[in-house]
Amino acid sequence: MRFLNVLNANIRREYILLKRYLPNTIAMLITFYVLFLGMFAGISLIGDPSSQDTNIQYVIVNYIFWFLAMVVVNDIGWQITNEATQGTLEQLGMSPMGIWKIMLSRLLSTTLVDFVIIIGLLYLSMFTAGQWLNVDVLSILPILILTLISMFGLGLIIAGFTMILKQIQAFLQILQFILAGLTFVPLSVAPFLAFFPFVKGIDMVREIMINGVTLTEFAAADIAILVFNAVFYFGVGLVIFLRCERFAMQKGLLAHY
Amino acid sequence: MTQPIVEVKNLKKSYKKRKTKEIITAVDDISFTVNKGEILGLLGPNGAGKTTTIKMICGLVRPDSGEITINGIDNQKKRLHAQEHISAVLEGNRNLYWRLTVRENMEYFAGNRGMSRKEVAGQIDKLLVQFRLKDKENEMVNRLSRGMQQKLAIAVAMLAGSEVILLDEPTLGLDIETGYEVRELLREIVRTEQRTIIITSHDMDVIQDLCERTVIINTGKVVTNDRVENLMKLFEVRAYAVKLDGHLSEEQHELLIKKFPQLVYTPDTYQSMLEVDLTQSQEIYDLFDILKIEQIPVDTIDRKTINFEQVFMKIVKGVTVYALSERA
Repeated sequence: MRFLNVLNANIRREYILLKRYLPNTIAMLITFYVLFLGMFAGISLIGDPSSQDTNIQYVIVNYIFWFLAMVVVNDIGWQITNEATQGTLEQLGMSPMGIWKIMLSRLLSTTLVDFVIIIGLLYLSMFTAGQWLNVDVLSILPILILTLISMFGLGLIIAGFTMILKQIQAFLQILQFILAGLTFVPLSVAPFLAFFPFVKGIDMVREIMINGVTLTEFAAADIAILVFNAVFYFGVGLVIFLRCERFAMQKGLLAHY
Repeated sequence: MTQPIVEVKNLKKSYKKRKTKEIITAVDDISFTVNKGEILGLLGPNGAGKTTTIKMICGLVRPDSGEITINGIDNQKKRLHAQEHISAVLEGNRNLYWRLTVRENMEYFAGNRGMSRKEVAGQIDKLLVQFRLKDKENEMVNRLSRGMQQKLAIAVAMLAGSEVILLDEPTLGLDIETGYEVRELLREIVRTEQRTIIITSHDMDVIQDLCERTVIINTGKVVTNDRVENLMKLFEVRAYAVKLDGHLSEEQHELLIKKFPQLVYTPDTYQSMLEVDLTQSQEIYDLFDILKIEQIPVDTIDRKTINFEQVFMKIVKGVTVYALSERA
C-alpha cells in the first residue's frame, strides 16, 4: 500500500533526524527530567504528607502525558513552520498522496519514535520517585490509541492553522501551557473537560496506572465518550486541515515566508 | 507528430495586497500548450506572472478561473491525480532537506510519493551516476556546493518518474561549469527519456541553447509564443552595423534619425560607426541613398548578430508588436 511507503519514509526521516540532532534530543530530555525533579521536590518538601504518594503518582502520569501531547500536537506546528521557512512545504504540496497524508505520517512517526523516549522517561521518573505505577499494557493500550487519535485530530488543526497563519509561533509557545492545563487538571474538578480532546483518555489511564482499574471495569459511557472524541476530533481536524490547505492554495501561502 | 501534454487555457489569478487591499492581477488570461518531449522556455521580466503560472501548473496555487490539464487530467478537479504526472524544482536552493544526506533526500521524496525504498533503489543508483553524485551519496546536503544541490534537486524531480518536469531558474547561482553540466543533463533527459521540460530562466543563453520554443509573459499576458529560431530570425535580418571611412554631415545625420529613430551613431574623424535596425528589409536602400549624398566610402557592412537576450528585451519592451504583425 502506498500510504505505508509514505509512513515508512517519514518514520525513517524522524529517526534519522532524532539521531542527527542527538544533543538537542538529550537536552530536551534533561529539561523534562529536571522539570519532573522540581515537581517531585515540591511535593516532597511542602506537600501534604498524607497524600504525598498519590500526588507524586499523579504528577508522573500527568507530566508524561504532557510530554506526549507536546510531541504530537505542538511538534507538528513547529514542523510546518520550519518547512515553510525552509521552502520544502511546497515540495510536500506536490506529492500526489496529498499533504494531509504526509502530515498524518509525520504525526504517527513522531509518536512512534518518541514513544521509546517516553517509556524511558516514565521508568526513570518512577525509579527516581520510588513509586511504581500499574503499567497494565493490555488495559492502557486501547485507551492510549483512542486518545492519540483525538490528539492527531488536534495536531491536524494546529498544522492547518500554521499553514495559513505566519505569526503562529507565539501561539505555539502558549499552546504548551494549554496542553499542560489539559493534562494536569483532573476531570473531577471540571467534568465538562471530558469532551475536550484527550482529557478523558488521560483520566482513564490515570485510573489504571494509579488506582489499578482494568479496562473491563470502565463503564460503557466512558468508552463511548473516548471513541466519540477520537472520531469527532480526528474528523474535525481533517476537515479543518483540508479547508486550510485549500485556502493556502488560493492565496499562494505554501511558499516560504 | 506533436502531442500536447500540458494545456493551459484562459488562466487568471489576482491577489489582494494585505495592507492596501489593492488587487494585483498576476496572471491575466494566459493560454498555451506544451508538447510531449519538448523543452519549453517560459520567460518574462520579474513580476510578469511566471512563478504564479508555474505554481498553478504544479497545483500549488489555485487559479481564479481557467483550466490546466496535465496529460488530459484537470489539475483542479483531480489535483492529486494530475500531480502524478508532474514534478518540479522550484526557485532557489530550498527543495531539499539540508540535514539529510543525498541518498536520504532521494529516498524521502520518493517515499512521500508512495514509492518504497526497494522500488527506487536501482533508479537512485542510476541517477546518482548520471548526475555525478555517486561519491557524495552519503554526504549531508548542507555540505554540498550550490551546483551539487541543484543537480540533486533535479535528480529528485527525475526520480518521481513524472512525464513533465518544471524547473524554475535551474541555473541561477551556479558556476559556469556546473551550469553547462546541468544543460547537458537536461538535454539528455529529454532525448533519452522522452520527458517534457518547462523551464524558466533569466539566463537567455540557457534558453537559447535548450529551448525549441518560448512563451514570453509580460504583465500577466502572453506576449509571444514562438520557436526560438523564428524569434531570432525575426530580429537578426534587419540589424546592421556599417563602418564608414569618415563621418556624416549634419544633414545626413538628421535625415537618418528621421528615418531610423533608433539609430546609434558613433562619429569619429577617420572611422565612424552606424548601427541601425531596419523594420523592413527594403529600407537598406533608404540608408544607402542617405549615405550617397556625401559619397562617404563604406568600409564594412556587418549584419549584427543579435543574441536571444536582446530579442527578449525587445519583445518585452513591445518592439515586436510591429515586427510580429508585419510577419503575420
